[in-house]
Amino acid sequence: MFDGLILLGQGVAHFLTPAGLFNVVWATLLGLAVGILPGLTATMGVALLVTLTYKMAPDQAILTLMCVYLGAIYGGSRTAILLNIPGTPANAAATLDGHPLALQGKAGLAMGLATTSSTLGTLVGIFFLAIIAPLLSEAALKFGSYEFFWLALFGVVISGQMTGSDTPLKGYIAGILGLMVAMVGMETLHAYQRFTFGIPALGGGVDLIPAMVGAFGLAEILSTMKRTAIARIIPVNDRVVPRLSEIFRYWKTIIRSGIIGTFVGIIPGVGEDVGAWSSYAAAKKRSKHPEEFGRGSQEGLIAAETGDNAVVSASMIPTLTLALPGSAAAAVLIAAMMIHGIRPGPMLMIENAPFLYQVVGMLLLATLANLIFGLSLTKLFIKVLAVPRERLMGVIYVLCVVGSFAITQRMFDVYVMLIFGIVGFILREMKYPMAPLVLGIVLGDLLDLNLRRGLALTNGDPTPFFTRPISAVICIIIVLTILMSIPSVSKRVRSLLHRGRGDASAQG
Amino acid sequence: MTTQAPIPIPAEESADPASIRADLIAAIVFIALGLVVAYFSWTMDRLEVRRIHPSTIPGLVPLILGVMLTLCGGLLAIRSARLDVRGGGAALVRVLVSWQAVRVFAVLGLALVYTLVLVGRMPFWLASALFVFSFITLFETVLADRVGSLPRTLIWALFVALGAGLGVQYVFGEIFLVRLP
Repeated sequence: MFDGLILLGQGVAHFLTPAGLFNVVWATLLGLAVGILPGLTATMGVALLVTLTYKMAPDQAILTLMCVYLGAIYGGSRTAILLNIPGTPANAAATLDGHPLALQGKAGLAMGLATTSSTLGTLVGIFFLAIIAPLLSEAALKFGSYEFFWLALFGVVISGQMTGSDTPLKGYIAGILGLMVAMVGMETLHAYQRFTFGIPALGGGVDLIPAMVGAFGLAEILSTMKRTAIARIIPVNDRVVPRLSEIFRYWKTIIRSGIIGTFVGIIPGVGEDVGAWSSYAAAKKRSKHPEEFGRGSQEGLIAAETGDNAVVSASMIPTLTLALPGSAAAAVLIAAMMIHGIRPGPMLMIENAPFLYQVVGMLLLATLANLIFGLSLTKLFIKVLAVPRERLMGVIYVLCVVGSFAITQRMFDVYVMLIFGIVGFILREMKYPMAPLVLGIVLGDLLDLNLRRGLALTNGDPTPFFTRPISAVICIIIVLTILMSIPSVSKRVRSLLHRGRGDASAQG
Repeated sequence: MTTQAPIPIPAEESADPASIRADLIAAIVFIALGLVVAYFSWTMDRLEVRRIHPSTIPGLVPLILGVMLTLCGGLLAIRSARLDVRGGGAALVRVLVSWQAVRVFAVLGLALVYTLVLVGRMPFWLASALFVFSFITLFETVLADRVGSLPRTLIWALFVALGAGLGVQYVFGEIFLVRLP
């Protein structure tokens, strides 16, 4: 217990150097700008910045990326409130009540509430990260090939199920496409080159960073430039710093939303947007004034912004302990960690235990910076919001080219970015979620290697995949998840549950 | 845990004829892709010379994925065919030739020319400056919602283009020591 606290203290103190604080300041400001500008998302910001941090020391590089990630998720709430457009997809739920509040002349109050609830959400997530991650890491040491195979599959399936907004089928298809992309290149069990078609550059497979820069950079540029209508920025005339009573009146909502956000963050590949929507739905259900939701409810705004920020910290739990990305941006962070020689996964606590607490320290510093800048630099952020996209998006594409080229210095990666950008845009337009695709690319190798390694260990006998206790549990969850995504099955189960509840209340 | 609560992600356009027809076309593409991947996986070298266990052949997982994609594509095709309405094709064509589509093709055209033609043939800062200048000029004049004054647009475009080209060259190349294309 005390060891943990000491490590935590050291983790925070590690970055309290002039260089560390300087990086926190500029990266947070950059992250806020990324979040505020519609069309720039957190994942895109982190993916583009991997290049910039390439030559930095590993801890400072991850600190910078984490500040951008957290800053962008928080910054997007400004756009949601003042422009009625979510700055990042995570802030879509915040538009429902944030913008009506701004229309009522309470833009300052809305921004203040969003800022403080973001901070509180991050803190709840950090609390659970510090508690759960070491325990999960220890438990994961007992995992073998069988468990890791199921975990990888679980990540793709659950992400497909929860992010497919139109139908889970599209989520699953996106996941399978991602896994197929991961199959290209040299496989690790027998060193055989698959699907390379004689192209030497494909031997190493498709790198994640260029793929992400394409799917989240170029695709986003295309989506942003497609839109023609531009919304009007609501002026801010009231105070931004909220009273403590205005926040703590909703302490139950904050804790509930923080826990929901944490839970969503732990689920692999299910990102901040689902965290925000789930918290919002739960808050509305439990609220004394559900009729105010969607008309400028302070509680609704607090729930949405607490939920999405809790996801950021909590997404680090599976990312660091199992190397399963908790969100799309966390997938980029895994790639960045690998570039800097940090290997996330169950061995992290053994090889590099202080790093986990350094991540906690990074999140604490980033959220503190968000709070300070969020409450003080209102005018500057409104100026950022007014930057016309016509003048910005061209520059962002130049950064996409640099970002995909710089890591391995091959034009091939730039072409990968282009292809992923175009295909990603088409898939997005057809309502295919990007998170399962990314998860598929990240987890494809893990899934493939562990399935075949497990089979090699048993000479082709698949029984241990189903009989080992943890394997069996994950397998059952996957089967249930897939079954529940079939409309007729889920309808029948729901009606059975309702009937059961009805019978119980009739008897009671 | 309350994540079971219905997530109010708006299922807009689920009944839009154009997107249903697009789903149907995509489903056929996925079925074809799944079959091609399954075929290549089935015919992939099974490394019998190296006497590996038949259950660990390199083509195992891609084969499963190919079959799964074909299956999911098939389900999507059935779903879309059931929802499909008359006039879906015409609606889809209208989307593809809309003003929004023109804007998307303009961005793509500029991006392709910049990436495939300009980069590598001239200094990176110059290529980037040319791209940014054309991007801003095009979207603030021909493709603009409301056209502003031309000299103002040109001055801004030149300013941003040079700033971006030289700025990227300096920040990435000199400060962060990153190699540029």
